[in-house]
Amino acid sequence: MDHKIRRIYVPMTESGFYILYCLQQPQHGYGICQQVKQMTGGELVISAGTMYGTLSKMEKDGLIAFVREDEKRKLYQVTSLGTEILNLELHRIERLYKNSRGENVNE
Amino acid sequence: MNSQKWSVRFFTVADYEEEEIWLRERHKNGWKLVKTFPPCFYVFESCAPEDVVYRLDYKNNTENRDYFQLFQDYGWECFNRYLGWLYFRKPVSETDTEQDAEIFSDDVSRMDMVDHIIKTRLLPLVIIFFCCVLPNLIRCINESDPLADFLTIAFALLFLLYLYIVLYCGLKLHKLRKKYNKRS
Repeated sequence: MDHKIRRIYVPMTESGFYILYCLQQPQHGYGICQQVKQMTGGELVISAGTMYGTLSKMEKDGLIAFVREDEKRKLYQVTSLGTEILNLELHRIERLYKNSRGENVNE
Repeated sequence: MNSQKWSVRFFTVADYEEEEIWLRERHKNGWKLVKTFPPCFYVFESCAPEDVVYRLDYKNNTENRDYFQLFQDYGWECFNRYLGWLYFRKPVSETDTEQDAEIFSDDVSRMDMVDHIIKTRLLPLVIIFFCCVLPNLIRCINESDPLADFLTIAFALLFLLYLYIVLYCGLKLHKLRKKYNKRS
């Protein structure tokens, strides 16, 4: 994997993480926002400009790709590079979670 | 037809937060913005007073159909384009959370917008200042015919104007960037 991409996205912003996580299934921008709102009990709302900017950047960097259009809305999904980044990030979050509860990570 | 009113106001690339507050106040007082014209003209139309949030995004004409569709999905009305800026509004009654009234939900994206402004607006100004205004001023000062005197004054005024705008915008954008950076 490109080191530059890795440096940019690991660790990633909270919005970035949720967007990438949701895009394991094809989804459009506003759909992601709704899904994240529901997942987080309304604690995280990703605004329009942040959503558009993050999707554009991730598409440009090859983490997600356009799949098809649905009622004039573009649907995206993660690419293999995106999945790789997501897994790195999930691993990091799991470590944080374990350590925050006083557990050590066993190699 | 509703009555219209023209206003004059100077707005630099670093004043978007004040612009949003000002437009919201005007709408509360029964005047909604219809259109803006360069360099400093605003056309308002009388309307029922309402609390409406105004937000400005800087895309420098890179916006496309998908961009507008997404903002529309979020309930934003895009009603004006002005020198790379897009003007959005949404009635407060249609927002359920504070974030619903924002177009950016994290400071990283706010900083991205400031960087975009610096790169496409401030930097060209600085380049014109150093490559055109300053060398011409120096050349005119060193010449001694009457036309050169006139040009010296013209370039001196241009020099001061440029210096003021570049310093004002540069410092203010730097401060905005610092504010966002500290929070994120």
